[in-house]
Amino acid sequence: MPGPLEYCIWLVCTLLEGAVVVCAVKSQSFRRYIFLNLYMGLSFLVSVFRYQVLSHYGMASSEYVYFYYYSDTLLTIGLYFALLNLYSLVFDEMKVERFLRLGAILLLGGTAWFSYAVVQQSSHRILSHFAYELSQNLYFVGLVLTYALWGAILKMRETRARLIQLVLALGVYFSAFAANYALQNLYFKAGVLRFVTPLLGCVLPAAWAYCFLRVSEEARLAPSRLVAVPR
Amino acid sequence: MSRKLTVVLLATLVLFGAMSLKTAVVKHGNGAVIMANGGAPQPPVPWK
Repeated sequence: MPGPLEYCIWLVCTLLEGAVVVCAVKSQSFRRYIFLNLYMGLSFLVSVFRYQVLSHYGMASSEYVYFYYYSDTLLTIGLYFALLNLYSLVFDEMKVERFLRLGAILLLGGTAWFSYAVVQQSSHRILSHFAYELSQNLYFVGLVLTYALWGAILKMRETRARLIQLVLALGVYFSAFAANYALQNLYFKAGVLRFVTPLLGCVLPAAWAYCFLRVSEEARLAPSRLVAVPR
Repeated sequence: MSRKLTVVLLATLVLFGAMSLKTAVVKHGNGAVIMANGGAPQPPVPWK
């Protein structure tokens, strides 16, 4: 069973997830960033239900294991759509929504097909394993898509401060989990690492809540080339 | 038509890149799981 510190981190993370939705509503940005907010709202609900299942059945129970991994798949799909929400906002002036939708469906379908192809060869519990594999694969797709979006933002010299911070926070979040994974592989016996993973889970909701609370929709960043004074 | 083909090509490239990255990471890993959703304690994976 998790200790008091792990419960404390989990509580903070859950409160931050709820805070993102509250801050977005307060700053009248809920509809503009609808999928980001739906993802955070879903994360909040999943955290509450996970606690219910954990306290009722225990950490090692199959109920908690199945609920954890199925809900994780649901959340990863939610995160994928949140990322697509950011894509549509970055490219909104180019009028390419139709192509973005096509690309998103193709990518999701391709990832699902790849996951099924892997699972079909190696498992008898196909549905459960498929959910787990899809979640893992979508994580990597999200990672690549986030870096591609950041590249597009740099190339297009995007100036909307809130949008940039939302994308950067997502990039930091994915990168931090990747670094944590690498550390787990290097020092898999280090006990402190079991606190790092849930702590990293707080990074994204904290950054997004701050962004909705402190950075206004109208705030702009000055591109460096405009600021630089020619000699 | 060419824009649609470009979208298909880009989606394929992203998928290929992501799956290659995943394969490389899992191949050199010790079986740890990447879970990027929330602060809930992670149970052991039953499908390994």
